Amino acid sequence: MLRRIGGVFIVAIGVVLYLSGISLAATGDKLTLAFIPQENPEKLVGDVKRISAWLSERLGADVTGFVTVDHAAAVEALRNGDADISFMGALPFVLAEAEIGAQPLLAEVYRGSAFYTGRVFVRRDSGIETLAELKGSDIAFADPISESGYLYPLEAFVKAGLLTPERGTSSFFGRVYFAGGYQQALQAMAGGLVDAAAASQYGELLLTPQQQAEVTWIAESEPIPSHLVIARPGIDADLRSRFVEAMLSLNEPENQPLLAHVYSPDGYIAADTSAYDGVRAIARRYGLLD
Amino acid sequence: MILWQRANLLIAMGFGATVLVGVANAHIVREDPWHPVAAAYRASMFLGDLVPVPWERVGAAWTEAYPGALSEDPALERLAKLDGGQTAAEAVEAAIIARNRQQLYESGSRAASLVLRSMLDQAEANLQEGGDPHGALNDARAIFRAFEEFIRQADPKAYRNLGRAWLDLNTSAGARGVLGAGEVAADQQRFASAKAEIESYLVANFEPEVFTPRTRLTPVPETVVAMSGEPEMAPWLPPGNFIGDQTPLPLLVLNFEEQGIDETDLPLIAYGDMLFDSPEIFGEPARSLGITCSTCHNRSDINKEFFIPGVSHQPGAADVDGSFFNAAFNDRRSDGIDMPSLRGIRLTAPYGRDGRFASLRDFTRNVIVNEFAGPEPTPFMLDALVGYILEFDFLPNSKLTDAGGLSESASDEVRRGEAIFKRSFAQMDGKACASCHIPSANFIDRRSHNIGSASIAYDGARAGALDTPTLLGIRFTAPYFHDGSLPTIASVVDWFDNRYGLGLTEDERADLTAYVETVGDADQPFEVFEGKHTPFRLAFEELTTFASTLELLIPRRDAQHAKLMIDTVAADLAADASTMSNLAAKPDVYELASKLASVGGAIDAGDWAMANEQWRAFKAHQAEIDERMY
Repeated sequence: MLRRIGGVFIVAIGVVLYLSGISLAATGDKLTLAFIPQENPEKLVGDVKRISAWLSERLGADVTGFVTVDHAAAVEALRNGDADISFMGALPFVLAEAEIGAQPLLAEVYRGSAFYTGRVFVRRDSGIETLAELKGSDIAFADPISESGYLYPLEAFVKAGLLTPERGTSSFFGRVYFAGGYQQALQAMAGGLVDAAAASQYGELLLTPQQQAEVTWIAESEPIPSHLVIARPGIDADLRSRFVEAMLSLNEPENQPLLAHVYSPDGYIAADTSAYDGVRAIARRYGLLD
Repeated sequence: MILWQRANLLIAMGFGATVLVGVANAHIVREDPWHPVAAAYRASMFLGDLVPVPWERVGAAWTEAYPGALSEDPALERLAKLDGGQTAAEAVEAAIIARNRQQLYESGSRAASLVLRSMLDQAEANLQEGGDPHGALNDARAIFRAFEEFIRQADPKAYRNLGRAWLDLNTSAGARGVLGAGEVAADQQRFASAKAEIESYLVANFEPEVFTPRTRLTPVPETVVAMSGEPEMAPWLPPGNFIGDQTPLPLLVLNFEEQGIDETDLPLIAYGDMLFDSPEIFGEPARSLGITCSTCHNRSDINKEFFIPGVSHQPGAADVDGSFFNAAFNDRRSDGIDMPSLRGIRLTAPYGRDGRFASLRDFTRNVIVNEFAGPEPTPFMLDALVGYILEFDFLPNSKLTDAGGLSESASDEVRRGEAIFKRSFAQMDGKACASCHIPSANFIDRRSHNIGSASIAYDGARAGALDTPTLLGIRFTAPYFHDGSLPTIASVVDWFDNRYGLGLTEDERADLTAYVETVGDADQPFEVFEGKHTPFRLAFEELTTFASTLELLIPRRDAQHAKLMIDTVAADLAADASTMSNLAAKPDVYELASKLASVGGAIDAGDWAMANEQWRAFKAHQAEIDERMY
């Protein structure tokens, strides 16, 4: 579930924050948060400052944050101890869990659910109604390690008996693209560059209103656990506990406006590690986990 | 009509989800931030087509941080750092100094294309060296955005080929996965091939040795222009614009609604309400851009976020008699005004900032025909629009009595302020604030006065007299004065104190400010959305009310007005579906919009029986889905 929109600028901002002397390691009452670039980087930098300041006050600790290049960089930061906490997609999380022992803390809730789905979208005027009709067609996926924009929709084709993980996508599709994110994949489909696109169920909202009226979806994946907040192993238990408590307090009405500074979920619930079993299983099936 | 620009959407990307925030009625998608080079290029091309060209703004677009761009680097600085970039930067500067539009087009196009190609080179170098090419690739793609929509319109085949080339680039660049898991190897050959295709198109079309002379600076591919001249392109706006509704959305107070009368029982008013939200009454470019009366007057009030670079001197303002909206009405003067609220308009004649129109009908026609280049409205349209506007009431304010006095709850500070407000000052020819802002007359006197707030255009000019504005509701309509030059009510008080040497103490100024703020207050200034009362629900109820005018228009066999309504409402319904909270019901809205369009199709065919049948089908479907419409 990666977006690289404006990625280069996010890189630049990340570098600036690093160079500005922000503490990147947790020592004592210090906590460092890694943010994944998902939206307007200028806004995200402001969000990082706002939520870090609030957490600092709430925890009585020195909380700082920085924006990483992508999920991989965030995981590397956790591994290296440059970050203590990171916001993360479900698939990168299970990979980070396997590689560095990352721990799930909080799951995000959107539109009343801690799960969402991936969908396969087509243009309404294409007349395509089933996955089977996409045989030989061109498709744009979001990213190779996107759960809703790649693996889960791909699994829908597998369940329909149209391809197998072993034989890969080339056995069914024409050309397969990784467009770089939901928006790019969907724009490619809506603009007629490809026949289908895979993205989050909410991805279509990234299209223009006119485009939204022109597209539809023909398959939906199994539920995917929503994004989560994770911690590196070895983080101070008391600090971690206080952090979780503070984040859960964002659910309270007086704190809810702050959610806009952490990717705008409805709120948080405590993460249930078993909720990610399905993600672990699919990651194994596609060779991402041993 | 560019429907993609007509919607009610403000998108914020969630972490794995997208949420809608601050959605309001009949408006526009907020643009993602632009790459600074793309922003400078598009802004300077847009500004270069204004008459007269605001050359200082053109220069600023290239040499200063572009507002709202992805980074604060001035475009020319980025350009100058590249190989060959210094020459390109100097060419842009020379064009601006020479005030030469053709030079600006050529140098700007070459500059933007050069930066894009250099980013592609960097991405390729990174790829070859085993680094991550995606950053530079994204940079290049962000600059390509400056050209993209124009290629799409003028050269659709190339647009498709280039689009697939960008997909090839991103795919062949590979992916590093997470700690090696999910890694996808790069394909350098495929990358190079796609890169070459994009580069060759850019060089041929935006960096040719010789450009065809341009009448307009819209970036149209050179090969297209050389072959068949400049094509007609859809109107567009420069980066940094915002023509959506303001947040929070003002509360609309309609006289008939407050009396419990249903708008569907007032078809003329309902039709006028529709016209107020319809770009169809305007000409180009406003029509295609989706600009309506309510774009500037959200829910009868103002839109403090409206901004078009080169047209607005600040947010919430516009020069409505410049060259952009109607070249024929261009007064060639930079005289933008702050948007006035229309609340209580039937009580606030005359109209226009200088009170030049005694008649609201004349004022409204002038807006449609002259300011926004619309066709002459029919008498029915003017009757409807004026009839609707006359229903705008002031915001209820329980801090005031009906006669404009203070209610019993007023504080001592506010009461002291009221006394100052009513105090005569010799420095103001013996007048008080209340002499012009008469409390018992809705805080106006319906006259124009020269208070010294307008700059004089030439020696001896006597054009500084401006219409007295009401103070009701002004707490929510900052900034103040005709040009929006004063940011707060306190600053207005200070201005009068200084301008007229009133000698008010600090406490007196604070008291007077508190009083004016009390007068300008409201019990509920903004629409409150909660539960199923969503912005979409508000829009849905409005749009279906507009559609109800078919009850009048079908029996009358009034094809002209029925079609105008259907064109407006069907498009808006479909666009508004994107703002729904209940996303599962989106298809229902599309179907409803389709049914309304079918009414229009039947009217086009002259089959009024079918039109009536389709209208009944629309109403039945509306009733069926109503519960899900939020």
